[in-house]
Amino acid sequence: MSASQAVFAGWMEFPKSAVDDEPRQHAEEQALAALVDEYASTLYRVAFSVLRNAADAEDAVQEAFVRVLRHRDRLDEVRDRRVWLIRIVWNIVLDRKRRAKTRPETDDVSELTRVLPAGGLSSDERAMAAQMHTHVLRCVDQLPPKEREVLMLSAFEELTSVEIASVLGITESSVRSRLFRARNLMAGLLNHSRSLR
Amino acid sequence: MNPEKARGHQSDFASTSVDVDATLRVIANLPAPEGLEERVHAALRKTPRMARVLEWPVHFRSESPWIRTAAAATIAFIVVGGGWGVYSRVQPAKVVAMPPHIMQQGGFSNAGAARTPQTVNGPVLNHPVAQTPAAAHVVQMPAKREQRGATKKPDSVQAK
Repeated sequence: MSASQAVFAGWMEFPKSAVDDEPRQHAEEQALAALVDEYASTLYRVAFSVLRNAADAEDAVQEAFVRVLRHRDRLDEVRDRRVWLIRIVWNIVLDRKRRAKTRPETDDVSELTRVLPAGGLSSDERAMAAQMHTHVLRCVDQLPPKEREVLMLSAFEELTSVEIASVLGITESSVRSRLFRARNLMAGLLNHSRSLR
Repeated sequence: MNPEKARGHQSDFASTSVDVDATLRVIANLPAPEGLEERVHAALRKTPRMARVLEWPVHFRSESPWIRTAAAATIAFIVVGGGWGVYSRVQPAKVVAMPPHIMQQGGFSNAGAARTPQTVNGPVLNHPVAQTPAAAHVVQMPAKREQRGATKKPDSVQAK
């Protein structure tokens, strides 16, 4: 091989992963499929807690996995894939929530009535429960964003405070202090609304 | 704070916390819709694999490196040739050199102007001006040297 040919061949040489990577691609796709099977429902619940709409939450989950697909080369570098995925979907839903217009309360109540598990309740009781939950969620929406985010993520039993801190990119002590402030603010908001009734 | 009030505040706080926790738990534990995973799998299958910016066509991958080398040389030739073509056609604008400005002493300068308009020539007299009568009366006094010369005798007379 001449010098010039060697230079060109070296310049145009693709890494092995890009050229002869059929087995590797197959392995990546299998890993991605396993992630979908394992974490899709968790991501859906995280997305629904912010968007409160089943279709929007499902769209957000799909978008999160499409992003993972585009960066599947880096899957091996991720230490905690669950937290990483929650972080991706969290950013997606916050972005969507920011862009979306505020829905009327009646929409939220009807959506909650539809998705709430029956649990032996009559339809009236379910409607009442949905109304109460919607009212609480409206108060949650009035919280400052930082406190609101911590409060919502704290409801997920599978997330520790360390993991919440990792999702939000803050320290664990910040999570605790924000959670404390959020609970105080929520108490004030709910008491105020009760006194108005 | 009054202890009873404080206790009431604490109980309010506890009851509202229970409400909030209950609601958020309900939302956080909602079951995912059936068939979610399948729909996500289907969406991923439809998504094009565009992770890489540059990728060889499939039938070029298993060929010898000569094809890649030739392709690379062709691309380099086109890029360099195109660049040279553009460079050779686009010349830098010609700069008009200005003559050095020489300041004439005692005159007006053109203040560095590139061009100065030609001024109108002054009037030209075709005929000599006739002497006015006043001018005729003026007695032109001969020069002193001439007067002295007139008293002297010419050299030829003196020699005689």
